[in-house]
Amino acid sequence: MEPFRDDQLIADLQALRPTPRTQFAAELDERAAAGFPRRSRLPRLSFAQLRVVPVRRQLIAAASVAILVIGAAALLGVVNRNDSHPQSSGSFLSLESEDFSEMEGSSEAPAPATAEAGSVEDGSSAQEAEAAPVSPSANARSVRHRDVERSASLTLGAEPDDIPDDAAAVFEVVHAHRGIVLSSVTKQGAAGTAEAEFELLIPSARLGDALGELSAVDEVLVRHDSTVDITTPPGGAADLLRDSRARIDSLLAQLEGAELESEREAVEAELRHERRRATRLAAKLNRLNRRADLSPVSVLILTGKPEADAGSWGVGDAFQDAGRILAVVAAGLVITLAILGPLALISLLAWLIRRAWVRRERRRVLS
Amino acid sequence: MEQTLVAAAKDAPREADLAFDRLYRSSRDDVYAYVAGLLRDSAAAEEVTAAAFERAYRKRNRFDPNRGEPRAWLFGIARNAALDELRRRGRQAELTAEPADQDSFGVAEGAEHSERRLTVSAALERLQPSERDLIALKFFAGLANAEIAQVLGLSESNAGTKLHRAMNKLREACDGAV
Repeated sequence: MEPFRDDQLIADLQALRPTPRTQFAAELDERAAAGFPRRSRLPRLSFAQLRVVPVRRQLIAAASVAILVIGAAALLGVVNRNDSHPQSSGSFLSLESEDFSEMEGSSEAPAPATAEAGSVEDGSSAQEAEAAPVSPSANARSVRHRDVERSASLTLGAEPDDIPDDAAAVFEVVHAHRGIVLSSVTKQGAAGTAEAEFELLIPSARLGDALGELSAVDEVLVRHDSTVDITTPPGGAADLLRDSRARIDSLLAQLEGAELESEREAVEAELRHERRRATRLAAKLNRLNRRADLSPVSVLILTGKPEADAGSWGVGDAFQDAGRILAVVAAGLVITLAILGPLALISLLAWLIRRAWVRRERRRVLS
Repeated sequence: MEQTLVAAAKDAPREADLAFDRLYRSSRDDVYAYVAGLLRDSAAAEEVTAAAFERAYRKRNRFDPNRGEPRAWLFGIARNAALDELRRRGRQAELTAEPADQDSFGVAEGAEHSERRLTVSAALERLQPSERDLIALKFFAGLANAEIAQVLGLSESNAGTKLHRAMNKLREACDGAV
């Protein structure tokens, strides 16, 4: 046989060109005419067939499922963590505890705030605020007894004509509970203009009853309660005052026994200093006692918008409504993105990995 | 190839279907020949050819004429389907070991021709799969070098160079067998 020339080789290759069976070609033509109806692309895998699947492929599938499960679990964890820290300010009819971070003098820094309802009800006696000596039992005592300052604000809605009667009712409630009216402002007029505002001090022990009666004065629009733990820690104002008084007694005894003039003057100077210190400490302690004993309550009685505007709905209102709707929609979108984003990212990553893997395998088949 | 799968928006579905139909009729046998040359198995080639046309039909509206010729696009799909089939069956070893399906090669005519074609067929099997892929695209599918370049994602000159080398190796293998 002669050596192969290019034209012969090409002719031989073209002669070797496979041709489809007539029956296959006819069947394919039929399928083409029918628009290539979809055949089952996912044959059911029996257990025996599954065992034939390569271990590497099974591991990849298992890893993908694990990644999805971990991702979903992490997502749920984030959602749950957010749920366990609800926003605590500005809510209607909510009992709220606040960290109390400001006290006069660092030695009087309070213990951390507590939201336990029991501690709110126990915190009525200022005398009990005196701290126990530093001992193991001190912690136990601080757990059993807390001094709590309570405060509340109440916004009532009323008709303009009812303002005088409502104001009188507020005074009655305050007097009935032996409270104090620190300030009051009453304005008469049309709706939106007429209003009344009260700053009250109500004995803490009777605050619950008083708020109940104040709420009955007219329609409650907003009620806000808050509690702050103001329990003085060991070594606080009460202890310092006791030490100061003991020191004064000691100095008085020294003064009686002093024989020299210079000695008497020195003791008297120290005595004056200690008395001033005791006075300051007593004042501080009184303020703390007062905060625990008397709860500040703000009462605001409103009469709504002026009647001329009450029924109208203008462009400004339309913009406000549109803004609110947009804000709600935006919030919904953000939440949806927060949920779907990670899932889409994982899916995209899985798709990219699979595509790269398929391409690599295709190259490997030909290499 | 002047066909296009893209049509005006108002009659896009009908025009796209017609264009695909033309592409199917002009390429059916070429696709089968290419796939059978790559797989060396007529039954598997029928399955893969049908699957490739099915895939192409489903994606016909996504074809972008700016990215290449319709035939190159179709053979890209057929090539991927054939490689997936090889991958699925783990038939890479068989590619170099299994004898060719002689019935499908139309061995006939004279004894000398028959002997030459058996020699060429045997030499084809000794080539690297990637080289056989190139020869199948050129002589079984009948693609131009530019279309082969599009299918393989190469430049036209690179595709031509690779094809030339593959043909040289084939000739050497044939001459060595003589």
